[in-house]
Amino acid sequence: MTNLNVVGKSVLRQDAYEKVVGGKGFPVNISLPGMLHGKMLRSPYPHARILSIDTSRAEKLPGVKAVMTPKDVPQIIFNPIFFMPADSMAIHRDMLILSDTVRFAGQPVAAVAATTVAIAEQALSLIDVEYEELPAVFDPEDAMKEGAPEIHAGVKNNIRATPSFGAGDVEQGFKEADYVFEGTYETQRVHTCYMEPRVCVSDTDSSGHVTIYSSIAHLFGLRERLAYALGLPVSKVTAIQAPYTGGSFGSKLDLAYIEALSALLSAKTKKPVRLEHTRYEDFICNARHPMKVYLKTGVKKDGTITARYASTLCDTSAYSAHGPEVIMVHAYFGLMLGYRAPHTKWEGTVVYTNNMPGGAFRGYGAPQAAFAVESQIDEICEKLGFDPIEFRLKNTPRQGDPHPFNPEWKLGGYALDQCLTKGAERMGWSNRAKAGSASGTKKRGIGMAAHPIWVSGCVGFPDIYEHSGAIIRLNVDGTAYLSSATMDIGSGQNTTLCQIAAEELGLKFESVRMAPGNTDNLPFDAPTHASRVTYSSGNAVKVAAADAKKNLLEVAAIVMEANAADLEVRDGMITVKGAPAKAMSVADVVKRAESPFMVVGAQGPTPTTLKEKGTIMGISSVAPPANASPAVAEFVEVEVDTETGQVKVLRAVYAHDLGRVVNPAAAQGQVEGGLQQGIGYALMEQMLFDPETGACLTSDFLDYKMPTAVEMPSKIECIFIESNEPTGPYGAKSLSEACLIVPAPAIANAIYNAIGVRFHSLPITPEKILAALGKL
Amino acid sequence: MALVKLKEFCIPDKPEQVDACVAKYGENALILAGGSFIHGLEARGLLSEVEALVDIRKLGFAGVTAAAGGLHIGAMTTFAQLEQLPELGSAPWLGALKDALTYPPMQIKNAATVGGCLAAACPFFDIPTALLALDCKLSTNKAGAKREMNLADLFSGLFENSLEPGELIIEAKLAKPAGRAASAFIKLEGTANDLAIVNAAAYIALDGSGQCQEARITLGGGVGDNVVRSSSAEQVLLGQKLTEELLQRAADAVGQDIQPMADHRASAAYRLAMAKVFTKRALSLALSRLN
Repeated sequence: MTNLNVVGKSVLRQDAYEKVVGGKGFPVNISLPGMLHGKMLRSPYPHARILSIDTSRAEKLPGVKAVMTPKDVPQIIFNPIFFMPADSMAIHRDMLILSDTVRFAGQPVAAVAATTVAIAEQALSLIDVEYEELPAVFDPEDAMKEGAPEIHAGVKNNIRATPSFGAGDVEQGFKEADYVFEGTYETQRVHTCYMEPRVCVSDTDSSGHVTIYSSIAHLFGLRERLAYALGLPVSKVTAIQAPYTGGSFGSKLDLAYIEALSALLSAKTKKPVRLEHTRYEDFICNARHPMKVYLKTGVKKDGTITARYASTLCDTSAYSAHGPEVIMVHAYFGLMLGYRAPHTKWEGTVVYTNNMPGGAFRGYGAPQAAFAVESQIDEICEKLGFDPIEFRLKNTPRQGDPHPFNPEWKLGGYALDQCLTKGAERMGWSNRAKAGSASGTKKRGIGMAAHPIWVSGCVGFPDIYEHSGAIIRLNVDGTAYLSSATMDIGSGQNTTLCQIAAEELGLKFESVRMAPGNTDNLPFDAPTHASRVTYSSGNAVKVAAADAKKNLLEVAAIVMEANAADLEVRDGMITVKGAPAKAMSVADVVKRAESPFMVVGAQGPTPTTLKEKGTIMGISSVAPPANASPAVAEFVEVEVDTETGQVKVLRAVYAHDLGRVVNPAAAQGQVEGGLQQGIGYALMEQMLFDPETGACLTSDFLDYKMPTAVEMPSKIECIFIESNEPTGPYGAKSLSEACLIVPAPAIANAIYNAIGVRFHSLPITPEKILAALGKL
Repeated sequence: MALVKLKEFCIPDKPEQVDACVAKYGENALILAGGSFIHGLEARGLLSEVEALVDIRKLGFAGVTAAAGGLHIGAMTTFAQLEQLPELGSAPWLGALKDALTYPPMQIKNAATVGGCLAAACPFFDIPTALLALDCKLSTNKAGAKREMNLADLFSGLFENSLEPGELIIEAKLAKPAGRAASAFIKLEGTANDLAIVNAAAYIALDGSGQCQEARITLGGGVGDNVVRSSSAEQVLLGQKLTEELLQRAADAVGQDIQPMADHRASAAYRLAMAKVFTKRALSLALSRLN
C-alpha cells in the first residue's frame, strides 16, 4: 500500500500543546457554577461491620450541604466493570455504593458535600462511626483454608470461581514427552500510575436526570454502570466526553465510588458536586491482580511441545470486579494460545481476600502469564541446549494458519517469525555469552521474550462489548468533523482516528478534527482497552468516512457532470481520473450541498438541484470481522551489579508486527511507555500493605517506585513489521498491551544470562538478587 | 491527616517577626525554608499538631562566600545555587558535596535549601551526610543572639534538632583543609527520585608520606536516627597507607557504628551490607581524587 498520504506519517497531535499545558479538556479542570466539593470517609479496618454512624456533628459544620451514609444510597448490588453488560450472567455482582460491611482498608463508608474541599475534609473528622472489627485475611492461600474469615456470606472458602478448560489428554501428552519441566511463578500487585487522578463532576437535575463528567476510558460504560447502580434507566444518565484524559492504562474501566456518590450528593443538594481522588485514593482504587501460576510443559527431544498444564491462583481481593474475567484472558491469551500443544489443561481459582480491589491494567492478566511461560521456555532451552529463537519458531503459528482462539479466523497478516529473527539480528543475539559466564563485579546479560498471540479488541469474547461508531460531517470550508465515543486516554487515539478518516476522505490531516460529544448524541462505542482502538474504532471510522466520501462524490458528480465512480479525492481536491485538469475542491462541493437553492458566484446566479442538497456526512456502527493477533518479540541487555544487586537495563530491541504503522511517533511512544511499565514490573514496582491492618504503605511516589527517565535505557530500538492485516483498517492491527507483556520475562531472562540465577517471583529487587547470590 | 490544626501562615520580613510567631505557637510552629519536604511529612501524618507555618524565604541568608579559608554557605542557599559554585568543580576536598548535589531531582534542587535540609534532621537526606564528612560548622541566630555549633550537635533524634524554638541556622561553614585532602559521596536509591536507602561519604587527608592523616566517614539513609559518623572505620585508616585491602577493612568496620533499620524499602541486613559496599566505594572514589 504505497499510495497512502496521511496513514503512516508522524503527524503532530492536534491536542499536543493543550495537553502539555494542562488544558481545559482534562476532566480534572471541569468546574460548574455553584459546584460543591465532596470527600469520602474511609474505613481504617480491612474487615468490619458498621454498628452505627452519627453524622450530626458533621452536618452542623457551616458549609456542609449533605452527608451520605449507607442508609442514604440505593442498596443495589452491582459489578463495576464497564465493558460487560451490567446484568451479564458472566460477572459476579457483590458491591454497593456504600455498605454496612467493610471488606478492605480504605473502603468508603460515608461521603460529604461542602462548599470547599477543606470544609468537606474537616467534616469527615466529625463523623462518628462505630465499627465491629472482624478477622481479616490477606493471603489468598490462607483465605481458602477451613476456618478462614468469611468475606462474602455463603461463599465457601472464599472461592469465587474455579474455571478450567483443556484439549486432548494432558496425561497422555506428558507420557509422550521426553522431558517435563515445571515451576511456580509469582507476580505482585502493581498500580497503573496514570497522571490525571480519577475525578468527576455530577449535575443531577430536578427530574433526576444525571449529567456526569468523568476521567474514564469508556463513555457508554459509565452511563450504563452508573444508571444500574443508581437504579435508573440508561436514558436518565448523560455522560459527557472529555476531549482527552490523563491516562488510564486500564484503571478507568470501572465505576468508582466517586461517580455514584457525586450523582447522589448532587441530587440531594441540587448543586453540581465534584469529587477528586487524592493519589492515595487512586492507589487503593484498583491494581493489577497478583497471581501465582504453576506451569508444566512436556517437550520431545527435538523441541516439540507435547503437553502443557497450568493452574492459576488469582487474588480477586475484597470484591469480584474483574477477577473472574481477567483470569480467563490470562489463561487463553496469556498462558495457552501462544505455543502449540496437542494436549492442554488449565485450572483457575479466583479467591476473595481483604485486600484492595483488583482492576484492569494494560495486558489484563497476560503479563502474569508471560512471566511464567517465557521464563520456563528459557529454562527449557537452557537445559536442553536449544536456541530460544529456534525453539519458539518451532512451536508457534505462521501466517495463514487458523487463529488458535477461533479457527474460523485466519492469521491473515502475521509475522512472528520476522519479529524473532529481525530482533535477534539487531540485538546481536548470536554473540550472546553462556549464562553466568560474565566476569567482574558488574555482569552483563542478554535475554528475550515473545508473545505470539494477543488481541486487537474483543471480537469473539462472549460477554464483552465490541462495536464502535463514528459520525463524519463535512464543513463548507472543506474540513471534516469526526465524532466517536472512543476515549483518548493519552496514547493518541484521537490523532490515529483522524488520520484514518483523513486518508479515507482524501483530506489533509489538518482538515479533520475530533469533535467530542456525549452519550445522548454519539453512537455506542466499546472502551479504550484490549488494544482495540486503531483496529476496531479505526475500522468504524473508515466505514463512516467511506460513507461520507460516497455522498460527497455523488454531489460532486452532479456539479462536475461526471460519473461518481470516475472521481477521486486527494488533499481536498476532487478530480476526474485521467483528466486532472477537471478539478473541484471539497470545500466547493460541500458549499453546494449546504447552499440555498440559488448560488451566486462570479458567473452570476446558478440554480442548484434537490439532489445536491443536504449535509454531507457518513455514519457507522460496526464491529470488525475478526480479532487479528499482533506478534511481538523483545530483546534486552542488562547489567547486574553483583555487589548491590542493582539491575540496569542498558538496551532494548522491540520487534512487533502491528500490520500497519498508522503513526510512527505514537507507536514508538507506546513501546517506550510499555517498557517503562515493564521495567517497573520486573524490577521495582510493588504495592505493599501493613500485614496487621491492611493499610497501604506505598500510596505515593515517595514509597511506590516506578522507573524515571534515568532508569530507562538510552537505546530503545523499535522494529515495526507491517504484515498488512486483511481485516484491519489500512492493514493495521494492535500494538499497545503487548509492549508491556514481554519486558518482565525478557529482563528476567537477561538477568539469568548475566548471573546464572533464575528468579520465579517479581519484582526482582536488588535485595532478592543479593540474597540469591549468597551475599545476604 | 493533613495540617488539620493549622491556624496561621506567617511570612515574616524581619527575624524578630519569626520570634513573635514562634512565641505564640511554641513547638507547634514549623519553620519552612525551601518547603520541599512538607508534603512528604504531611502525607505521613507527621504534621497533625502543627498550628503555624513560618515561611522564612523573605529573610535573606542566601548566597555563598568562597574565601581562602573555605566556604560560608548561607542557610537559604538552594541546592541549585550551590551547585553553580565554581569551587565545587575544582576542589577535591569538596567532592562529597559536589557528588551529593548531583542526586536530587531538579524540582528539589530549585526549592530545597542547605539550612532547611539540615534542620529537618531527616536521616534519609544526602547533603547532611556529605556536610558531616566535611566537618561542617553552623552559625545560628535567635532574636539577635548568635551561637556556633558543630553540625554533629544539631541532630538530636529522628526528625528532631537541638535548635531552640525560633533559633534559625544562618550559615553552614566549611574550613579548607591544609594538606592533600579529598572527599566523595555515593547514594543507594530505588530510582533517581528517591530518598537514600543508604548513603555514605568519605573524607580523607594524606600526609607527605602518603599516610592517612585525617579521615571522616559518615553514613545516612536509615542506618540510625540521624546521620552517623563511623569512628570505627576511621580508626582503621588513620596513620596507614590506604590500600584496597585497608579500605575494605574500614568499610567492614562501619557495622560497629550503625543501627540499620528495616522497613518496606529495605531489610536491616541489606542496609548493613550496602553500608559496607557504599563506604568502600566512597573511600575508593575519594582516594582516586588524590591521585
